[in-house]
Amino acid sequence: MSKRILHHPEKPSDASTIAWRSQGQLEDTPSFREWLEREFPQGAAEMADESECETSRRSFLKLMGASTALAGFGMMACRRPESYIVPYTHAPEWVIPGKATYYASSMPRSGGATPLVVTTFEGRPTKLAPNEIHPDNEGTDAIAQASVLDLYSPSRSRAILKSGKKAKRADLDQVIAGLATNKAAKVGFLFGADDSPTRNRLRAKLASKFSAAKFYQYEALTGDASVAVGDGVKLGVDFAKADIILSLDCDFTCLDSQGPVSAFYDRRKPEGRDYSQKPDQSKMNRLYMVEAAYSLTGGMADHRLRVSVSEIPAIAAQIAKELGASVPGGLPAVTEEKQLKWIKGLADDLKSKRGKSAVVAGSRQPAAVHHLALAINQALGNLGGNGPVTAYQTENTGLGTLASLKADIDGGVIDTLLVLTPSNPVYDAPADLDFASSYAKLATSIHLGGRTDATAFASTWHIPAAHYLESWSDARTSRGVYTIVQPMILPLYPDCVSDLELMVALLTDDGKFLNGEGNSGAASPAYDEVRATFEGIGGKGEAPWKKLLRDGFVADSGYKTTTPKASASVAKDFAAVAGFAAPTIDSLDVVFATDASILDGRYIDNGWLQEAPDPISKLSWDNAALIAPKTAKALGIYDEVIALEPVSPYTGMKNAPRSPDNEAQKRTARMIRVEVNGKTLELPMLIAFGQAENTVVISLGYGQGFDDEDELKRGPKNAAHVGLVGVNRGFNAYPLRTSASSYFAKGAKVTNLEGKRYSVALVQEHNSMYGRALAREISTMTDDKKGDFSAQLAGVSKQGVDAHAEKPISLYQSKDRKGQPLLSDPLHQWAMAIDLSACSGCNACLVACQAENNIPIVGKRQVAMGREMHWIRMDRYFAAQDDPKADADNPAMVPQPVACMQCEKAPCETVCPVNATVHSEDGLNAMAYNRCIGTRYCANNCPYKARRFNFFDYNKRNPLIANNLYKGPFGEKQVGAAPHLQKNPNVTVRMRGVMEKCTYCVQRIKDAVIRQKATTKEQVLEAGKPSPEVKIANQSLRVPVDSFKVACQEACSAGAISFGNQKDGAASRMNRAKASDRNYQLLNYIGTIPRTSYLARVKNPNPAMPDAPFIGKATIDMV
Amino acid sequence: MANFFPRWSNLLPLKIAVCAGAAVGGIALAFSYYATPKTLVAGYQPTQPIPFSHKIHVDQIGLDCRYCHSFVDVSGHSNVPTGNTCWNCHQHVQRESPKLAPLHRSLDKSYPGYDGKPIEWVRVHKAPDYVYFNHSAHLNRGISCQSCHGRIDQMEVVYQVESHSMGWCLECHRAPEKNLRPLEEVFNLKYDAQQYIDQHPGEMTELGVKTTEDLGLKLKAQFNVNPKMSCSTCHR
Repeated sequence: MSKRILHHPEKPSDASTIAWRSQGQLEDTPSFREWLEREFPQGAAEMADESECETSRRSFLKLMGASTALAGFGMMACRRPESYIVPYTHAPEWVIPGKATYYASSMPRSGGATPLVVTTFEGRPTKLAPNEIHPDNEGTDAIAQASVLDLYSPSRSRAILKSGKKAKRADLDQVIAGLATNKAAKVGFLFGADDSPTRNRLRAKLASKFSAAKFYQYEALTGDASVAVGDGVKLGVDFAKADIILSLDCDFTCLDSQGPVSAFYDRRKPEGRDYSQKPDQSKMNRLYMVEAAYSLTGGMADHRLRVSVSEIPAIAAQIAKELGASVPGGLPAVTEEKQLKWIKGLADDLKSKRGKSAVVAGSRQPAAVHHLALAINQALGNLGGNGPVTAYQTENTGLGTLASLKADIDGGVIDTLLVLTPSNPVYDAPADLDFASSYAKLATSIHLGGRTDATAFASTWHIPAAHYLESWSDARTSRGVYTIVQPMILPLYPDCVSDLELMVALLTDDGKFLNGEGNSGAASPAYDEVRATFEGIGGKGEAPWKKLLRDGFVADSGYKTTTPKASASVAKDFAAVAGFAAPTIDSLDVVFATDASILDGRYIDNGWLQEAPDPISKLSWDNAALIAPKTAKALGIYDEVIALEPVSPYTGMKNAPRSPDNEAQKRTARMIRVEVNGKTLELPMLIAFGQAENTVVISLGYGQGFDDEDELKRGPKNAAHVGLVGVNRGFNAYPLRTSASSYFAKGAKVTNLEGKRYSVALVQEHNSMYGRALAREISTMTDDKKGDFSAQLAGVSKQGVDAHAEKPISLYQSKDRKGQPLLSDPLHQWAMAIDLSACSGCNACLVACQAENNIPIVGKRQVAMGREMHWIRMDRYFAAQDDPKADADNPAMVPQPVACMQCEKAPCETVCPVNATVHSEDGLNAMAYNRCIGTRYCANNCPYKARRFNFFDYNKRNPLIANNLYKGPFGEKQVGAAPHLQKNPNVTVRMRGVMEKCTYCVQRIKDAVIRQKATTKEQVLEAGKPSPEVKIANQSLRVPVDSFKVACQEACSAGAISFGNQKDGAASRMNRAKASDRNYQLLNYIGTIPRTSYLARVKNPNPAMPDAPFIGKATIDMV
Repeated sequence: MANFFPRWSNLLPLKIAVCAGAAVGGIALAFSYYATPKTLVAGYQPTQPIPFSHKIHVDQIGLDCRYCHSFVDVSGHSNVPTGNTCWNCHQHVQRESPKLAPLHRSLDKSYPGYDGKPIEWVRVHKAPDYVYFNHSAHLNRGISCQSCHGRIDQMEVVYQVESHSMGWCLECHRAPEKNLRPLEEVFNLKYDAQQYIDQHPGEMTELGVKTTEDLGLKLKAQFNVNPKMSCSTCHR
């Protein structure tokens, strides 16, 4: 019997927005219909292939019969197994068993450290949260959230290697001692791009000890913006001051940080950060974006110019000219009428906000674009003084580049190199540099790294690196605030060493190499060094040090401001881009993009990041070549992806699709060959909307190692470089890249590999919802039909069919038989509001939820079948306007996070045969996992498709070993492996056959409620009376307003999620958000009364722009 | 061919069915009666590595529960004392007792068999994995240790008194007044409600409490105790 389909009301005839999630939907293929109509995709709930049939019903019955017979022998074992309580021998200070301890720390990163508060349970760090008292707090992104998993990664490097083979520590100690005693050593140090004051201080000491020492800095994808602004100088933007932001291909909200972004998001909300003022469009900022492929920042943009990456220098020059900045000649002029109009409108807008606007250039853009961005900022008076753009002098100065390192190795200037960068130069250096061959010339190369990657195996010595949660260090944030990195735990493996410990060893006279605990339980030598650095910054004595450890930072310790000093190479930089013409179909542009999941490849072994779908392409576990639809059509590789269903010769009706691009596990993508810079790469291609024509975008960092299981038989090759997560994943685009084309290459050719296909775990169609006005958008600009801003605000709740759909009749009683309300808790009624105006779709909430709620990863094959377990689904819609004047190839992109809505009248609850999902008094739609028998009726009845089912025991059986899940009890177990140490002890680890979903972090709610209840005792003590005489007031049992946060809310750097107690009234931020006119309920007309509601997205277009009438109309209807 | 089956075999299927039915029914009944926490769990009394006597320490010496279980009213877990808590006293008292050998092994550096490893106490009370019981939530609201663990102060060797089944939990969540006591008496295992009323005549008349039932109900009202019965209270 097929599922009964709720017939949604007809789409209003005047609606002009066309919205889609995937090209399959845009072309309305039956396979997409299938996704819509089913709770799970075809195949997700069935056993489709041979290996799955091994656990068919028949073999199940056989096994059951055997186990029942065996059970008889086991009866005597009915006693419960003995378990033990093992207390500490010496109680450590501060540790209360069962209670979390929080420490301020930070994650060192190239754009500036991320300040963190680390949750630890009995010494195990389990969860990271942003440090909210930090002046440079910018929330956390997915990578920061997932970095805790790297600590426990099973593939983490844990042994010292000599030429790729396990070696003894004593031998390494000798090498270090030999190096430390040789003051004439020709030694080089290769650092990452993060800024650590202690490391820089030790670097100076090393320079004075080793007279021949050289220092270099390298990270694969940090770019060379400093060429335009000076050595060690960087530009930071204070978004609070920027009324208008022009981004020249800079994904500053996500992958290309230019300073804390929370102020940027605050100004995306017309009601202000805390929803405390009347909607005021004049307080909102306006974002212009010039980019080739959609970035998340581009999705937030009010005006987005879609141009190929080669044209960006010319566009930037044209803007600079309009604004009266001096521009060296030689760049091609912008001739296209549309672009000129766009630039004119932008320039006029920028002129009206002199000193109150900011121009940011993508850090990987050619130096010429940085020169131009600087010139525009200077011409507008944005730089320095009270302007939003500030130039900071960092301490990473006087460092050589990878090219100079190569020259020094080749020239014999150094013969020993210590590789301390988190990048992987043997793998990710530009191909023309041929760094690997120079690296092999070194007499001694010592690599310190957390993974046994290509560089580890190419080095004479590899030392496993301690994770930042295991080591003492310090760092500077984006604006230079001194921030501590403190260890939560001793290194899990005794040989793990931090970079500071290695440098300290070289600084001692005898080269004594200490790591972890140091001598007889003393702190690591890095501790003394960090303390010594701190004394010069925060003051001597215990008190400031203790304050640093508690707060995590030193106030007013930011970078000094400076004036940018352009290098002498300006003319050369402009000459480098002078010949750039727009790409053509025979000579395509290839953009080597930074990957949103694995960055430059260093996180390839992080399962959370791999499984988190790319926020834009929605591809997980792999990379692919992204091509715009028209280009794909011109290349002759489009039609087959969306093979339209053939018409049956007998009935004249359309058949089910026969295309190889089927749904579920059979979904594959066509393989293409990309030829550029004399190299070729074969990889799958996907259609990308809103991308510039004749442009291929390939993200970097994949294809590091393959074993026998590889689908394309690329292995075994470098299998030891990666763990189970990263093996066989994706395609390595680094060999295509040269020093001159490190960001993008020109002159590429794409050929179709006829008949060759590759399976992709593409989740863009998974869990698609039906319905009207799912995500809503309005504009601050007056519209002929929709009225002005206030009229549009008032109309939000009536968008879609909410204005005229009949109020649905509810099958539910709201009161019990005694007349008591079912939601009876008078103190707490929890609810959530999600502001789409601030949400960029960055996945931080998705990964934070995974960390908090012990959500397993399921592996590529299971994701392809639609069995991903993420409780938060990040929907991403595209929407174009059905108008000849609108640019249909540049659709709006709207992200929408959807988790369980905690419906007051939840359809899932009525269909559960065992009452495993029921409502609690405080408005939660609770899941009792131990009651669930796995009928999946609830998921079938959920209109939001927010429920996830454990098809396998993902926590017990490792899903990453090929076919392991299908081997049932014979599969390889992962019980006791290190990842289990990450699990949150306050959340059940679910097993096979159990339904799960968002619970509003019920563990955090209960913790807050119980903490509040425990004040009973304090109240009695304060009253000074015998307890029976003390009346505990109702109010005193209510959790203080907004005193705790749920995991997704905490992680969100945009402040898009607010959670709180409905009973708190306007005191709670959540209630103020819900009081906004922008508030609406998802699928309001089906009457589920969800507790989570959304706030419509507001676009703030410039009425003078040609595309302005089409902005702010991306209301998503799914038909 | 003659009749292969004799006449009496006509009733055989019925007889088999009745017998099998009775056997299955019996097994089901026996299982539902015996395989319950009440019979399987209550009374569980494992042997501990050190024969620690709560009777001596609590009843005779008069130690408070929280001397050893120091975080019980702060944390969800009730902690088992760390080795150095025992050693505080036992480095002076009964130091040479052979029963304390495991303690010496873990803490006494002068002891020949010293290995510094913690003592492995055998768990007596175990909540299932999917139950999140919180000690502090109960102790700070007037539920005594005794309500769940019984008269620990009278036990030479600790055993489980109550079934700790879900039904048993809910019994109290439905009617907490039966177990509520004044906060001052939570850790007093010798508490007797009637005695308490007799000892505090002034207050009790003022509060209108005459019987022990009155006291429970009064405390419920005073402390504003409204235990939840929905799943998410304990399961998450």
